[in-house]
Amino acid sequence: MTTDYRMSEVPKSGTGVQASVPLVELARISKNYGHVVACDDVSMAFHTGEIHGILGENGAGKSTLMKLLIGLVKPDAGTISMNGVVQQVHDPQAASRIGFGMVHQHFSLVEELTVWENVLLGEELKFNRTRARELVGEIGERFGLVVNPDSHIRDLSAGMRQRVELIKCLRRDPKLVILDEPTSVLTPAESEQLFPTLREKVAIEGRAVVLVSHKLSEVIRATDVITIMRQGRVVDHKPTKSTDAVSLARAMVGREVSLRTEGAALGVLVEQHQISHRLTGTPTLKTKPMRDVLEISEVDVSVGGVLKLHNLTLRVREGEILGLAGVEGNGQRELGDILSSLLQVDCGSVKVNGNPVSTSKHGAMARSGIAVIPEDRHDSGVVLGMTVAENLALQRMSEFTRFGVIDDAALIANAESLIDEFEIRCDGPRAPLHSLSGGNQQRVVLARELSSKPKVLVAAQPTRGLDVGAIEYMSGRMEAAAGRGIAVLLISTDLDEILHLSHRIAVISSGEIVGTLLREEATIEKIGLLLGGMAI
Amino acid sequence: MNRISTTNSARQKAFVAFLYALFISLAIISSALLVSVTGGDWRAVLPALINGSLLKPGRWGQTLTEAAPLLLVALGAIFTTRMNLVNIGQEGQLLIGAACAAMIATRGSGPFVMVFAILVGGFAGGFWAAIAGVLKYWRKVPVVVSTLLMVFISTQLTGFLLTKKSLLLDPSGDRPNKTQTSAQLTSSTRLPYIHIFGNQFSLAVPISLIAAFAVLFVLKKTILGFRLSVVGSNARVAQRFGLSERTAGILALLVGGAFAGFAGSLMFTAGAANFRYTSGFANNIGWEGLLVALVSRNQPLAAVIIALIFAGLRTGSSFLASTGVQREIVDVIRSLLVLALLMPPAYLFLRENLKKNSVEGDSK
Amino acid sequence: MASLAASGLTPILNVLSSATMYQSMIRFAVVLAFAAVGELVAERAGTLNISAEAMLIGGAFTGAVVADRTGHIAFGLICGMIAGLVVASVQANLSHRLTIDQFVVGLTLNIFVLGLALFLDARFRPVTDVASKWRVPGLAKIPIFGEAIFGQPWPMYLIVPVVVVSWFVLFRTRWGLEVRAVGENPQSADVTGIHVNLRRRQTVYFVGLTSGLGGAVLVLAQIPINGFEAGHVGLKGIIAISAVIFGGWTLRGTIFGCLIFGYFFALQQALPSIGYTINSQLSGALPYLAALAVTSIFAAHTRQPRALAQPFVRGLT
Repeated sequence: MTTDYRMSEVPKSGTGVQASVPLVELARISKNYGHVVACDDVSMAFHTGEIHGILGENGAGKSTLMKLLIGLVKPDAGTISMNGVVQQVHDPQAASRIGFGMVHQHFSLVEELTVWENVLLGEELKFNRTRARELVGEIGERFGLVVNPDSHIRDLSAGMRQRVELIKCLRRDPKLVILDEPTSVLTPAESEQLFPTLREKVAIEGRAVVLVSHKLSEVIRATDVITIMRQGRVVDHKPTKSTDAVSLARAMVGREVSLRTEGAALGVLVEQHQISHRLTGTPTLKTKPMRDVLEISEVDVSVGGVLKLHNLTLRVREGEILGLAGVEGNGQRELGDILSSLLQVDCGSVKVNGNPVSTSKHGAMARSGIAVIPEDRHDSGVVLGMTVAENLALQRMSEFTRFGVIDDAALIANAESLIDEFEIRCDGPRAPLHSLSGGNQQRVVLARELSSKPKVLVAAQPTRGLDVGAIEYMSGRMEAAAGRGIAVLLISTDLDEILHLSHRIAVISSGEIVGTLLREEATIEKIGLLLGGMAI
Repeated sequence: MNRISTTNSARQKAFVAFLYALFISLAIISSALLVSVTGGDWRAVLPALINGSLLKPGRWGQTLTEAAPLLLVALGAIFTTRMNLVNIGQEGQLLIGAACAAMIATRGSGPFVMVFAILVGGFAGGFWAAIAGVLKYWRKVPVVVSTLLMVFISTQLTGFLLTKKSLLLDPSGDRPNKTQTSAQLTSSTRLPYIHIFGNQFSLAVPISLIAAFAVLFVLKKTILGFRLSVVGSNARVAQRFGLSERTAGILALLVGGAFAGFAGSLMFTAGAANFRYTSGFANNIGWEGLLVALVSRNQPLAAVIIALIFAGLRTGSSFLASTGVQREIVDVIRSLLVLALLMPPAYLFLRENLKKNSVEGDSK
Repeated sequence: MASLAASGLTPILNVLSSATMYQSMIRFAVVLAFAAVGELVAERAGTLNISAEAMLIGGAFTGAVVADRTGHIAFGLICGMIAGLVVASVQANLSHRLTIDQFVVGLTLNIFVLGLALFLDARFRPVTDVASKWRVPGLAKIPIFGEAIFGQPWPMYLIVPVVVVSWFVLFRTRWGLEVRAVGENPQSADVTGIHVNLRRRQTVYFVGLTSGLGGAVLVLAQIPINGFEAGHVGLKGIIAISAVIFGGWTLRGTIFGCLIFGYFFALQQALPSIGYTINSQLSGALPYLAALAVTSIFAAHTRQPRALAQPFVRGLT
């Protein structure tokens, strides 16, 4: 632990070869939340100079493991040791003192403060503006992470914010650096920059790096050794060189997996020819002429004085899935809000089937047939405190009332049929929504939106945080909707998902559409170029 | 499996009951301590309260009459809370309602005038609260601040009305003790009373009871109540589907203020302050009605019971003079009771949450 | 024409140049500032304490009783601070440890403390005298403003260290940085290891200390009282909150707001003494009307701490 600004001496270490004594060891860790087993008898070892990947789908126990390491949660059984000595990780301060540092995915920076203020937050350093700014520069240089210490976080891109997170983490001179899904907020170009930094600058200094992820491609590219978790247990552990995507996928999900069909869910890039094979099977596109259902024309939107969307033009046709690819923070949220009647345009228009829709009137988008699966369902998708039945009826409640009084029987009947059709797992239609798992809550949103017989379906990050099975289900449903003639706009930061599902791909960057491609002509490189042109 | 769960839930219920009993006892003991520490006889307090509120002749009727406006104010507050708006200006809304009712009722006579006056009083109270709503949605003024400031403003405003004969001041000049009051209501403009078993209580009592059921029905069973709940729980979802937060919010404040205004006008026509409007007319009914709503955790039927208890404290306190204990002790008892009744749910909630997160210590 | 303007102008000029008005204004402003500056710190952490009113009342009553019984104003001031701290600890622990709604607790505290003060008043009946003045020689002779700023009773000057300490603590210490982070984004602050609710409780204790002191200053350095009455504090705690909003949650703005509201209170009190009468209900309502108007004008334009009045429970947000 360093309470002053000098960092510790850089010890000499190997070049990534396994040392005999592990730096950090987790022995037989178990953690339960009530009846739910999050971690079951988990054991792992991290060595210095090594980048260790922990691979598992959402819900496999990875995030609980991370919380244990940084002291947000305590294990029910098992020990965590550092250099052979058992440690008690009471809270984040203790974790930091022991030498565990984490680079968070979200939720660690305060937007209204500057970089140097954020670096000081939660530290035991003296409050000294000059010294803090110097420190940001020093660490930036040492690790190749240059950031202006006086910028406010709210003005920084996602990639820059990650740099600040890294600086914050490395400032404490941790022995163990944990990264949580680091590439999810980066452009492909930025990801390419991150991995060498990790290997050449971070790991080489006698540290161990742990990369936690559910994406195969990320883990394969960046790590030396991989531990696979499934349903709270460790199921396998092998050097990265000696394995491949298919066997990793099998271990991760527990059954034979076709990368072709489930590749997106697993974060694996699917080969060109496999996609064309799939797409030609879609009848709608071949037999019917393509008609524009959703037309967004030359839209400008400013929020808080900052231009978020500029001259945005997009068309989605009947029966097609248009994938809008882009790094988070480039206007996707604002676009989603406009289509949800939550944001008004400054100029430009939105039309459905040729009829203009008002962006300033509440509920106009929904009434004109635009269904939305929002990015954050808790924010604008569901009412957590209400029952499943009520959430399923939300905007159609007037269909279940007579003379202003709610017909309970009709409401329940509707709920039961939707629960059946969409396989929603819950304690019945009267169960409170917050008692459902994330995947099932998402199904409720999907069920409700599709039950209103929409013309357009906007899906914003629809599979974020879901396990493989749920991802598969959502993808299947979106394809089915397109098959029925609904125009689907898929907004996602997950390139694999976009490539897997879309007929056409548009790329958004800094609030503008910078390119549109047919799926057949799209490659990671092309999209990466479009995205990366505006990166950082 | 079943047996275990019923035992568990029975144990849980027993624990909850224990918590309530514990905190209520703490409140009562603290009050008793306070009385004895300041030289009073705490043993005399409870009998005096019970006599004054229930036992002595005519008292329970009086308690019921006091309970009616408390209940009405509480119902209005419950309605407004659905929208997550913190309206704490009921005392002022009540004053405005009573003053407007008085201005009309003292100028005419007969049942039609009375009904008209009561209705106007209700609307006036609603209007007064709606101002806070407009300020919130137009200028982002927190409702908690505006409604509170408007209490003080309404006190001054109604005080001003009492200085002008053309407005509220009694023109006839035969005011008791030359105080500023309005004219007295003629007997034909007064709210009728119900006489049972030697007690009497005003028509406001059944009116407020019916209102309680009406509010419960509207909130739980109608689409209006549903929409209000949606907007109150998640305004963004509501906006997506065309439910305007602004409209719902102002409506909620309007209803909340109207209930307080009705409470005031019913109080006046039922004979508070001897059918004359005076300064200090509200007599804290607004504040206490709000507390009733808070304690009853926004359940209309619970509010009925709590209103009765609080009314009992009020009527009982008038019998305290003979015991030598000041009346203000009742304010202390009441606040302590409120705190006592708020603790168990908070404690339980915290325990549930701690179990979920398994983090040691408090909600750090 | 000119004479018409003159006749309208003269009263305004008279009021603006009246030393009595400014003395009165500063007196009210200072009491408001004790509460407002403390509440500013608390609101930067994301709490909203309408119980600042109860803290003022507690400080005023306790300060009066202690000063009356011991004969020493200093003891009264100290005990006033302690009383404010006691009230604050109820608010802090019920709302930021037990998660009971802070408005509910605040409202109940206001009613409870006022009732308790009135109840005990019958028993104790504190009588106070205004403390002696500290005149800064020379400066106090400046026309119009001199007496107002440099010739006040000595406890009034305690506002200066309170303001300085608040500024320093909020903007020049790590504690203050953490407090500001907690008010903007408690989730992030929590993840970086900051004890969110502990910081919030600490800021509530702070406003308890300053408001308790302010209440004591009110009865010991401003108005001599003969028995405590409800009108002595009269919602000044709420006006302090309005001052914070008016000031856009900045220190300078808050102080300016206190001056403005102080001026309106002064109008009510000092106008008659310089020969003008104003309808008593209007003057009584003026400070609150002004607070309402001012809040309406400024609340829409200023940026509040993002997590203001939002309780924090780990894992639930």
